[in-house]
Amino acid sequence: MSVYATPTQPDRPRLGVRRKTDSLLSYTIRKIGQSLVTVFIVITVVFLLMRLLPMEGYIGEGYDKLDPEQREAILRSMGVLDPWYIQLKNFYIDLARGDLGTSITFRRNVPVAEIIGPKIPYSFKFGMGAIALSLTCGLCMGVFQAREKDRLFDRLGTGYIVFINAVPAAVYYLFLQLYITSATGLPILFAPEDPKSWILPTISMSLGGIAGYAMWIRRFMVDELNKDYIKLAKAKGMSSTGIMFKHVLRNAFVPMAQYLPTTLLMTIAGSIYIESLYSIPGMGGLLVDAISRQDNPLVQALVLIYATIGIVGLFLGDILMAIIDPRIKLVKGGGAR
Amino acid sequence: MSVKESLNTLETKALFELAEYDATRAEKTGYSNYSYWRSTFRVFLKNKVAVLALITVTLLLTFTAVQPFLPGQRDPNVINISEETGRQAMNIPPNDEFIFGTNSIGQDLWARIWAGTRTSLLIGLTVATWNAILGIVIGAIWGYVRAAERVITEIYNVMDNIPNTIIMTLLAYMLRPSLSTMIIAMCATGWLSIARFVRTQVVIIRDREYNLASRCLGTPASRIIGRNVLPYLVSVIMLRFALAVPGAIGTEVFLTYIGLGLPLTLPSLGNLINQGRQLMSVPILRYQLIYPAVVLSMITISFYIMGNAFSDAADPRNHV
Amino acid sequence: MVKRLALFVTMIALIFGAIGPVVPARAAAPITVVLDGKVLPTDVAPIIRNGRTMVPFRAIFEALGAEVDYDPATNTVFGFKGPSFVILNPGKTTAWVSGRYSKLDSGPVIVNGRTLVPLRFVAESLGEKVEWIEANNSVLITTTPDVPLPAATALDEYKMVYSGEFVSLNYLTTNNANDMVASANTIDALVGYDNYGVMRPSLAKYWKTSADGRTYTFTLREGVKWVDYTGKEYAEVVAQDFVDSAKYLLTKANASSHSKPLYSAIKGAKDFYDGKTTNFSTVGVKALDKYTVQYTLVEPVPYFMSMLTYVCFYPVNGQFLAQQGSKFGTDNKTVLYNGPYILKTYEPQNKREFVKNEKYWDKDNVHIEKLSYKYNKEASTLAPELFFRGEISAADIPINVLDAYMNDPSKRNQIRSGLPGTYNYWYAFQFDPKFEAEYEPDNWKKAAASLNFRKAFFHGFDRVAAMLTYDPYNPEGQIINTLTPPNFATADGKDYTKLAPLAKFSNGDSFDPALAVQYKNKAMAELKDKVTFPVKVKMPYRTDLTDWTNRAVVVEQQLEKLLGKDFIDIIPVGYPATNFLGSVRRVYNYAFLETNWGPDYADPQTYTDPVAPGDPYKYTPIELVDDGTYKKLYDAAIAEVVDLSKRYELLAKAEAYLIENAYVIPYRASGGGYVASKLDPFTTPFAPYGSASLSFKYRTLLSKSRSAQEHDRAYEQWKKDRAAALKKAGQ
Repeated sequence: MSVYATPTQPDRPRLGVRRKTDSLLSYTIRKIGQSLVTVFIVITVVFLLMRLLPMEGYIGEGYDKLDPEQREAILRSMGVLDPWYIQLKNFYIDLARGDLGTSITFRRNVPVAEIIGPKIPYSFKFGMGAIALSLTCGLCMGVFQAREKDRLFDRLGTGYIVFINAVPAAVYYLFLQLYITSATGLPILFAPEDPKSWILPTISMSLGGIAGYAMWIRRFMVDELNKDYIKLAKAKGMSSTGIMFKHVLRNAFVPMAQYLPTTLLMTIAGSIYIESLYSIPGMGGLLVDAISRQDNPLVQALVLIYATIGIVGLFLGDILMAIIDPRIKLVKGGGAR
Repeated sequence: MSVKESLNTLETKALFELAEYDATRAEKTGYSNYSYWRSTFRVFLKNKVAVLALITVTLLLTFTAVQPFLPGQRDPNVINISEETGRQAMNIPPNDEFIFGTNSIGQDLWARIWAGTRTSLLIGLTVATWNAILGIVIGAIWGYVRAAERVITEIYNVMDNIPNTIIMTLLAYMLRPSLSTMIIAMCATGWLSIARFVRTQVVIIRDREYNLASRCLGTPASRIIGRNVLPYLVSVIMLRFALAVPGAIGTEVFLTYIGLGLPLTLPSLGNLINQGRQLMSVPILRYQLIYPAVVLSMITISFYIMGNAFSDAADPRNHV
Repeated sequence: MVKRLALFVTMIALIFGAIGPVVPARAAAPITVVLDGKVLPTDVAPIIRNGRTMVPFRAIFEALGAEVDYDPATNTVFGFKGPSFVILNPGKTTAWVSGRYSKLDSGPVIVNGRTLVPLRFVAESLGEKVEWIEANNSVLITTTPDVPLPAATALDEYKMVYSGEFVSLNYLTTNNANDMVASANTIDALVGYDNYGVMRPSLAKYWKTSADGRTYTFTLREGVKWVDYTGKEYAEVVAQDFVDSAKYLLTKANASSHSKPLYSAIKGAKDFYDGKTTNFSTVGVKALDKYTVQYTLVEPVPYFMSMLTYVCFYPVNGQFLAQQGSKFGTDNKTVLYNGPYILKTYEPQNKREFVKNEKYWDKDNVHIEKLSYKYNKEASTLAPELFFRGEISAADIPINVLDAYMNDPSKRNQIRSGLPGTYNYWYAFQFDPKFEAEYEPDNWKKAAASLNFRKAFFHGFDRVAAMLTYDPYNPEGQIINTLTPPNFATADGKDYTKLAPLAKFSNGDSFDPALAVQYKNKAMAELKDKVTFPVKVKMPYRTDLTDWTNRAVVVEQQLEKLLGKDFIDIIPVGYPATNFLGSVRRVYNYAFLETNWGPDYADPQTYTDPVAPGDPYKYTPIELVDDGTYKKLYDAAIAEVVDLSKRYELLAKAEAYLIENAYVIPYRASGGGYVASKLDPFTTPFAPYGSASLSFKYRTLLSKSRSAQEHDRAYEQWKKDRAAALKKAGQ
């Protein structure tokens, strides 16, 4: 559930495009076309799944004290009594007009865009802060661990990584909140105007990322240091620092580039634990809430946004990877099979 | 003896003797007692921490299996009645009678933790096995069989973008919260990431020269995948599998957190921890969080270390 | 203004009139009126008519501290004091006292142009004691001191964390419980309740009821304003606002959750709601003039006045409503306020801020200047910690962490028990089971129809053991023995639950192990050939609620242990939160189930609604096993709409019958628990139903949370004050 997917290997084949004389432009266009189809299917499936939930869920508390005709009037005003294909048609017509619909049970009659809009910046800011922190700390830690392999620092680092992976986040987040705030006097609750209240959530949020990046870069570097080109570089008499930065780190960035855009864009999804604990009015938990309240338009809009981001992120990742590593061609030469 | 003398003697003696051809001995030169799996295990066993982890997991597994049959064990759901008050024996800190204490309605935490470990390991292993098998099969087909690529990519993209919460909510509503619901929900989408991972690996090596050569020789795809591609991936797949077990347990904790967990009548590490979480700020009751968290951490850490060690060991480059 | 001027002119006339000779009724010594030991000076000497002492109205009202008004056009005299008002017309022997019709021995008289009113009647109507001292021809009035309303304190901001966000501020449609916090604080109704539960005029200055009890006419307070979220004046609150609101609620397309009380009580409303007519003038909600609104009922409703604090009788400015359309109530800018507070800031899932409405008509009774709410999804977990760090003003202390706080001396003395709530919980038997064959519904049906079988459950169910899952420190505190909780209604000064038919239950405990086993044996003998033992008992619960899950386990083990596994096999079955009631209770998919109900109006009938004959709310069809007695008792009770004492007696009889036959097992009242709060709970508007108790009007903050002992003392004091206040107000 973490935003930080641990990058493993470049995901080159996703770009499986066959023709030799393929320009980046036509590649882009075709890719967008494919993505639209995917998003369309995702949204439709989610739309239909939401319709499987019981009608009672739209009314929620107070159901008992309503007459059947009142219930019908309420459901009708929400538009959930129409046959599903009519609802689906209306949904797509509105969507084509750029209208995401209005919320039905989360904040009645409020346009979905108005609900989501103010929340994105919060999640985005925290997410960005956390990524920046976890990238810098994680990479540094990983690099030093690899250099100090099997020595004290490496062992401490591995201990940290194991701890973070082993203890449920729900537990150590709460622990940090309760004890760090009482020890340092940092505020428990987030307030946008108080810069101090940004610190702890950002740090908590980056802990998982630090472990993830450190683990991955350490593994990558340890593996890579066995490789022939490194041996060659060593034989040439290159300094180990030079090898690190010129060869290893650069190569390490290639697979990471594939995940970076998705990771950055997905920051807007927020972290459900952190935002819940610190009262951050962000996106974390919005989807879970919307689903449990059966707010169809809100769920659909969120899934649409997340699916689009996921697909756009992958696409940007491919492009970024091709830019960093000239050996990778978005347009691949003849298939050998 | 002068140099010259020596040279002379050399000249007179034959430098090489002609050996008889012996078919058996000829065979032996081509033989090495290297076995991939034996070497893997040997390297693995050299890693003391990993062995410790292996022992821990084995002990845990054995213990959870035999614990209910040991003498003096309580039923995890039975409410213990205090003799003094005639009421439920609530929140009793760990003592001689209740090794891990009791919870807020007087159930034995010791029994609950082992029952919970059993449930969680069952979930973890089932889900991880299923996801590994399905993920490897689909990932291999996806990566190797060109005809299937488009379809599987589309299915992947769609499934990956449908929020798990929707599926969980629907399943819980239609099937009622239970162990099978939880396992079905986690199996429904859990294989996706392994499939994608395997597919990427397959694609990276599918067009290596030796595979090209095999194809030229007319080896069928299934044989190439089974013999050439997958063995190459054993180490990474084992790592993923090892991490999938704690991953599944972590997902269970998360699902419990958002209210889609198992009923309390079926203890699991997820719901034990979630209940304990609410007591975090109370020092005297913290044992209700610490014990399940420690057991969970032992399992996760062991699998994690084992996975990494095994992955290292499975890499032939380390088999020196 | 015109009215004032007229009053002034009248006064002059009265004063000059006083110069003329007054003919005393008795030539004997003049009558003296003594108010609290002091002779009340009157410019006109009191006279006696038909054996009643008459005094000039202005003198007596003012002496009693009431506000006086006079309408020269109709010759009507008004006196307002606190929750009470008296309306008199010279020559008429009828008067309206606090909305009720009263008969006088002798009506007010005009003597020489001066209006004299019956002294005893007026004083008693305002809650004072009157004695006639024959010996010296004097009337002794002893005023009972007013029970003081809360006074302001220095703390003026209330801070809170919350986890339930508003769904809509459109109070006319939403039925979300969180949303009621907004409407209760920002919209005023015709009447309100003070902290003793005394009904007080609010937007209505006074009202009259027709003799047949079908028509209620309210005269509105003048000059009450609608303001927007900045506090800027928008319009005056007028009678049409109540008509506009009713019209909106009764228009089906608006999908209001509050239409039902309106269309079931008001004449012509159902037809309009069903679209049988589009002419709203056929509906019994009318603005007779700018300040007079009239409701006409289908039939007399004894508790109609208590319904007025409900959302469906709230006003709305029609012009603003039309202008906003579907945007009405989507945020704090798209609603108007006429209540004690204005929702100044509203950032969903972040914070909300209510500030005192400076234009509120009764702002002297609004003591807390600002209510600040900060959103936190885990509010209930974090609140205690935040409270003890001084960041918020109140917190519920969850039972499971109570011990730790109680062991901390600095915190212990800030924790007290919570006040009881108004929901009741009871256990229901399903008489028409519709569940899976594996739980043997037919077998259960036969077993549940047996009185002995049910009584074994009734006496075997250890409610204290079950309560331990909810409150392990004071499990007995919340247990109730009747469906109607205590302190809900009173008849002739006696609590409803202590009326004769219910007293034997409310004074005892249903749990009786020995008796339970007796009934078990009887049931087993009775049902030997008809029912397979052990009887499978499907008992659903919600898996997402920890305490309910725990309770299911406790109840299962407790009952099986006592009654034996040869008798019953209780099977707890977990269901998810999604559509729980829809897949369990409302489709009769249970054998034995914990269930609950909240009151809707100030009459004990409200608590029997869920078990009313015909099962309107889909709990369980009692008539399937009952011989019809219950329906007879019930119908007789609700048919009595005039004599409240008799009505309560009959209702109590019906309720007692339910319990006697073990159709229900009363279990507990909601609320309780433990809190640390700087809010003085005894300044909270008190009403066991509706949203009045969510209002912050009258409330004050303490400098620190009360300890349990301080709380108990204050509670006792409040109970005394409440009794006095109710007595004085005659309610």
